[in-house]
Amino acid sequence: MTTATKKIGEGKLLPVTSNLEKWPWWALAIALAAVLIVFSILVSPIYQDAFNFIREGILTTIRVTVIAYALSLIGGLIVGLGRVSKNVIYYNLSTLYVEVMRGIPMLVIILYGAFVVVPLSLELINGLGNWLVRLAPLAGLGRTLQQVNIQQVDMSGRAIAGLAMGYAAFEAEVFRAGIQSIEKGQMEAARSLGMNYIQAMRYIILPQALRRVLPPLGNDLIAMLKDSSLISVLAVRDITQLGKLYRARSFRSFEAYNTMAFLYLSMTLSLSMLVKFIEGKMSRER
Amino acid sequence: MKALRIVSLIVILSFLAAACTSATSTPEATTAPPASSLPDLGGKKIIVAVENAYPPFNSVDANGNGMGWDYDAFTEICKLLNCVPVFTEAAWDGIFEATAAGQYDVVADGVTITDERKQTVAFSDPFMSIIQVILMRADETRFTDSKGLTDQTDLTVATQLGTTNEAVAIELVGESRVKSFEAFDAPVLALLSGDADAVIIDEQAGLGFMEINVDKMKMLNITDQVPEDLGFVFPQGSDLIDPVNKALAVMETNGTLDTLYAKWWPQPAQ
Repeated sequence: MTTATKKIGEGKLLPVTSNLEKWPWWALAIALAAVLIVFSILVSPIYQDAFNFIREGILTTIRVTVIAYALSLIGGLIVGLGRVSKNVIYYNLSTLYVEVMRGIPMLVIILYGAFVVVPLSLELINGLGNWLVRLAPLAGLGRTLQQVNIQQVDMSGRAIAGLAMGYAAFEAEVFRAGIQSIEKGQMEAARSLGMNYIQAMRYIILPQALRRVLPPLGNDLIAMLKDSSLISVLAVRDITQLGKLYRARSFRSFEAYNTMAFLYLSMTLSLSMLVKFIEGKMSRER
Repeated sequence: MKALRIVSLIVILSFLAAACTSATSTPEATTAPPASSLPDLGGKKIIVAVENAYPPFNSVDANGNGMGWDYDAFTEICKLLNCVPVFTEAAWDGIFEATAAGQYDVVADGVTITDERKQTVAFSDPFMSIIQVILMRADETRFTDSKGLTDQTDLTVATQLGTTNEAVAIELVGESRVKSFEAFDAPVLALLSGDADAVIIDEQAGLGFMEINVDKMKMLNITDQVPEDLGFVFPQGSDLIDPVNKALAVMETNGTLDTLYAKWWPQPAQ
């Protein structure tokens, strides 16, 4: 019977009565590695130099991740509601967005947005301004649009927009799955109580769906934190970009990559602990 | 409704965080009057794109502030022309396209003047010429000059993508034997780990890598190499090209360019 109840990671090396095999050995290994790197940062002047230089990027990484994540949640909710909508236009537009965005790699979305979409749309805006100037009542608006300049759109804004738009497609699918996981009877009951579709969504379906999609949403936050390293291709000073600048000025790649990996790992691990904590809290609240 | 509260908290936090701004540095406006023969730009702000990953042209000090030949040179130019340089960090990949689209007024990144690049952007007069070198592992015995590298078809060369190092490498050994990496240090890492057999790199950067990796690499000159002219990059038709050329001519005559070169390319003591 013991084989039937065996879980992943349980071996036969020690007696079943021992608690040793239930220890989270992997966590101990990570903790050891962390201690080793923290020790290096405290003792070795090179690691100290690398750490002091690269840590300036932590705030940028967090800022970009948080803003882009918040935007992707809003966008994802809008698109996700479209994916379960009975309105043909809303449904098809949402599906088109999800299929296109999910099919393009994040790096390509960021580069495409920054170097193709933004310049083209500014040309469009300027062209619209040129056209409006000739219409007497709208000349003022036209002149404003003419003066919109590409230099006013900074790279970190473009990076955030790229990340948010890419991840909105993933969040949309998460929300769609959450909404569809709520039993049909809930919607029917709400409608029979006299609620309209929007009220039923807002007060009955979404609160339950949100609880169910919290774990995948948390995972996507962690995934986005990692993908935020891609914005270094736009020279936004996050951890990865500062790592690159440090390597260029010191020619020390080994220390720089170790420090970068350590910073990202400590952020993602603490974030996943936070997500687990919130999940636990939410499930107790039921 | 805890979840909604958390979501709204995230939204509020994100707007608070948006207050922080990106990395640009503005040196104080120069008050010195411009020399009479030069055009006066009237204190105009000029957005100068630098990579900050290409020492000694541009890199960052321990506090993350920009420094290097490009910073000094363009500050000098702006002193002569009465303008204010606004140095902006930009990634090398896509820097010409962004300049052509008007994102930056000028790129100062030790850029080699090539006919291919002239199709997208415009250049100033050359202010310097540099040579490139070959880096190889210290225990390398299969080749002893650049011709040996060319002749042995199983040897591969690592370079940085989109640089003239890459162009020189392709000319030397052909496209199929060149591995181009995005990151500045990746070619050297590939060489040290054995993924590539040689690296084509600017002499100064090569010396920097050799200093850190003591006894692991040696340097080789490329036979019959024509030195490359470097210039500032502008969008085509920019009205800054002529003033900058005039300022460069003045700096050439009064020795400023020589002083700056000596500052950032210190000659080894004999």
